[in-house]
Amino acid sequence: MASTNTTGYRRGLVDLGKGQISREIFVNDEIYQEELERIFARAWLLVGHESQIPNPGDFFVSSMGEESVILCRDRAHKVHVFLNSCRHRGMKVCRYDEGNAAVLTCPYHGWSYSTDGRLVGVPYFREAYHGSLDRSRWGLAEVAQLCLYKGTVWASWDPAAPPFLEYLGDFLPYIDLTLDAWDGSDGGTEILSGIQKWRVPCNWKFPAENFSGDSYHNISHRSVDLAGIGPSGSGRRDMPELLMARKLHIAFPEHGHQTTSYLLPKEVALPPAYQHSSVVSEYFRECEEARRNKRGDWGRMIALVGEVFPNTAFLARQPRTLAAWHPRGAHETEVWRWFLVDRNAPAEVKDFLRQYYIRYSGPGGMTEQDDMENWNYAHAASRGTIARRYPYNYEQGTGTEIENYEWESFRVPGVVCDLTRAKSSEHNLRNLYRRWAEFMEADRWEELTSGRRLGRAEAAE
Amino acid sequence: MSEPVNIRLLQPGTRVVLEGGATAEIVSNPQDGVWVFARFLTSPDDPDRIGSEEMVFAQEIVEVGEAS
Amino acid sequence: MATTRKDGYRPGLVDISAGQVSREIFVNEEIYREELERLFARVWLFVGHESQIPKPGDYFVSGMGEESVILCRDRAGKVHVFLNSCRHRGMKVCRYDEGNTPVFTCPYHGWSYGTDGQLVGVPYFREAYHEKLDRSRWGLVEVPRTYLYKGTVWACWDSAAPPFLEYLGDFVRYLDLTLDGWDGSEGGTEILGGIQKWRIPCNWKFPAENFCGDSYHNISHRSVDLVGIGPSGTGRRDMRERQMARRLQVAFYERGHQTGVYLFPKDQATPPSYQHSPEVSEYFAHCEEERRKKRGEWGRLIGSPGEIFPNTALHPRQPRTIAVWHPRGAHQTEVWRWYVVDSAAPQEVKDFLRDYYIRYSGPGGMTEQDDMENWNYAHAASRGTIARRYPYSYEQGLGFETENYEWQGLRIPGTVMDITDAKSSEHNLRNLYRRWAEFMEAESWGELATWRLARAAE
Ligand code: FES
Ligand code: FES
Ligand SMILES: [Fe+2]
Ligand SMILES: [Fe+2]
Repeated sequence: MASTNTTGYRRGLVDLGKGQISREIFVNDEIYQEELERIFARAWLLVGHESQIPNPGDFFVSSMGEESVILCRDRAHKVHVFLNSCRHRGMKVCRYDEGNAAVLTCPYHGWSYSTDGRLVGVPYFREAYHGSLDRSRWGLAEVAQLCLYKGTVWASWDPAAPPFLEYLGDFLPYIDLTLDAWDGSDGGTEILSGIQKWRVPCNWKFPAENFSGDSYHNISHRSVDLAGIGPSGSGRRDMPELLMARKLHIAFPEHGHQTTSYLLPKEVALPPAYQHSSVVSEYFRECEEARRNKRGDWGRMIALVGEVFPNTAFLARQPRTLAAWHPRGAHETEVWRWFLVDRNAPAEVKDFLRQYYIRYSGPGGMTEQDDMENWNYAHAASRGTIARRYPYNYEQGTGTEIENYEWESFRVPGVVCDLTRAKSSEHNLRNLYRRWAEFMEADRWEELTSGRRLGRAEAAE
Repeated sequence: MSEPVNIRLLQPGTRVVLEGGATAEIVSNPQDGVWVFARFLTSPDDPDRIGSEEMVFAQEIVEVGEAS
Repeated sequence: MATTRKDGYRPGLVDISAGQVSREIFVNEEIYREELERLFARVWLFVGHESQIPKPGDYFVSGMGEESVILCRDRAGKVHVFLNSCRHRGMKVCRYDEGNTPVFTCPYHGWSYGTDGQLVGVPYFREAYHEKLDRSRWGLVEVPRTYLYKGTVWACWDSAAPPFLEYLGDFVRYLDLTLDGWDGSEGGTEILGGIQKWRIPCNWKFPAENFCGDSYHNISHRSVDLVGIGPSGTGRRDMRERQMARRLQVAFYERGHQTGVYLFPKDQATPPSYQHSPEVSEYFAHCEEERRKKRGEWGRLIGSPGEIFPNTALHPRQPRTIAVWHPRGAHQTEVWRWYVVDSAAPQEVKDFLRDYYIRYSGPGGMTEQDDMENWNYAHAASRGTIARRYPYSYEQGLGFETENYEWQGLRIPGTVMDITDAKSSEHNLRNLYRRWAEFMEAESWGELATWRLARAAE
């Protein structure tokens, strides 16, 4: 087992200059323990969507890293995220998936917390505690920072972390491509019914790197393409833009976020899509037009997949989803997938999309099953004593990144790798691990927010 | 030992007798089986409590009276 | 992860005066490994009951800490406790739960040991060993200290530990509340049927502290109270004494033992109980009277849950049981529960109690299931990176302890917390962790047997 301290995370385990990454970072339990401290206890994590808790007292039990947290709305409508562990003896306070509660009462000895986290009920407070327990010090542990953004709820345990919008930086408009409605109206999306949760026996970074923009593995979805689950009756998606758009890898080296997006040509209208339903097809055609009008050049950008560092994935194009890769030990990941639709879409469109989404994504989705199969077996086949000695190769497209990418008068924010001709690249994946290594080495947030030069220097090697 | 009271069944308006002899009226019931919100009607030990609304612990409720 | 060496156990992890204990001591694997060395290899542990091995050759496979041991009675009637591991290549010698045997034969290469632990059979002793193997040096590893007390068998791996009765101190009188017959007759109890064994995903100290006297969690048994599994048809127990007795938590600071007790008023009879069966009701009424006569003032005491440091729990009141919380890693506990009845009770009483005990305790017992639910989830929700940063609160009743507690002519040994009016306290729980921290820090028994130092100074 490579010892992390002697080898170091950069060069040793994550050598971006060479385009090589050690398998240890996926399978080593000691490194995993450090990830919990250095990444999951410090980064911003997605915990849910406001539409899951519309009313005072509504709660949704979510997760941050390995730990259970309660996302809830208090009586004054304020949103909170609490550690789901009683301060008295650690009992899991809330054992439902979601619901509405006047108070959150611990099942063990009955300590009771208000929906704003204060300890309000202590059995025998007068008699057993003689009124002396300082209840104000024993409320539920609350996250250090919380941010609501276009319906999504994000949280961080680290008071020293930069505010969420700074953490996102110029990546923000790419998140909007998932959270705005297809017609470009601000935050015009909602969660489509419940979320799906399931476990995959692999390290959380397998799905994370996949959703960072691994389009190289499309071949493994060939059988789905052949089955033809797409919304126009062939392939697995409608991708008419593939024929006319630029396909770009866009990465933010100082933040660790990245996406694969399509940039449409300036004056050409999109070919029709969703042809299995005239209502749906018409809906998307209108949205497409409205978005171009509303958003100007940004309206030409359609995101495919992307990842907010470290473990929040988005799939911006239909099936439109958000996913969190919750770590459950080094060797298991619990996937939570939220399905998004335009709030103002007609019911028929939502129904059509629901069926398509489920056909595509989630534990029973045909495309996602292919992915899980690959992650499972890749992880298992990388755990062994011998297997660990062989680093993975990440050198695809090294040196072809462009700092100020522009096409048909649109300047694309981020460091870009144009895949239109190259077909594929590992630019975005390298970006994920560059940031990962920085988090694993940095003792303080200051080192993480001033890492720009370091990261660049390395990319140039 | 008196029958334990199933406090999840207590509707707002129900009067209850507490250990020590105080009486209170249920204001609302969070249905957690542990607490009810109740207003004190009488309180021999601590008259200051009369009229105040407090969380009352299940084990303190010894008897259920009529709804008011 | 807090490193134990840096912070120290006191007051870093166990801060009794602030009433706070770090979650690390429950979930940290490094601390757990130290517990195996510093606690389980040095203390007296309960290994079984003589009534489980009445005849020569009888054995019962028990556990001490994580390790398997054989409790057996040799041909001369002497009781032994051996490490269940062959001296040749470590094979588990005895793989049955219990039985009777002339010799313990290792299944691997066939070394065979007498019931007194001697190596008596060595395949090809002449041919392969040329008779050179010194068999007297390769007998089963025997626990150096064992003690039989009123049927119970106790063992300790540490030769430097004080004798069992000194380890108990005055707490022995509270242990008697479980081991004597209900009528007060010395050691008048036996084990009822087999023992129950099962595993729970929590640290062993969750059940240990619970049985030290955590009556604060009674609320979590509310559903059982409502179902009414009690022996008089309501609640989960007969607890009429609650209305008349003083409810006390009794702790022994220097030793780490603690228990709850009910102390009856001097001249009042115990109210009737076990009313679902006239015969059982009659039996207990008779025993109550006898005990009061036989034991005098002490007969006014009835035990409630207690704990002999570190992991033997007592449940002296019906359901009367002894439990051991065997550690199985930091995150798992194997519970063994022995059911105890008066040996002289009529068969109908034993049958009635068996039904009631099983309804209440064990993996399928309605009350015990509630407890397990709490321990499981509390442990899991305390393991995380963030959760570990928040210590538990143990300040209930801090500062209200009484040194020379006396009520209606009976002076109670130990440091007492009267919870009749307070309803609950964490006095006994603090005592468990106080002693735990001492064990984790002390390098030798010399530092732990503080009562000897006091005596020497006098
Ligand atoms: S663990 Fe929650 S009240 Fe005790
Ligand atoms: S291991 Fe027992 S005889 Fe070899
Ligand atoms: Fe895929
Ligand atoms: Fe219990």
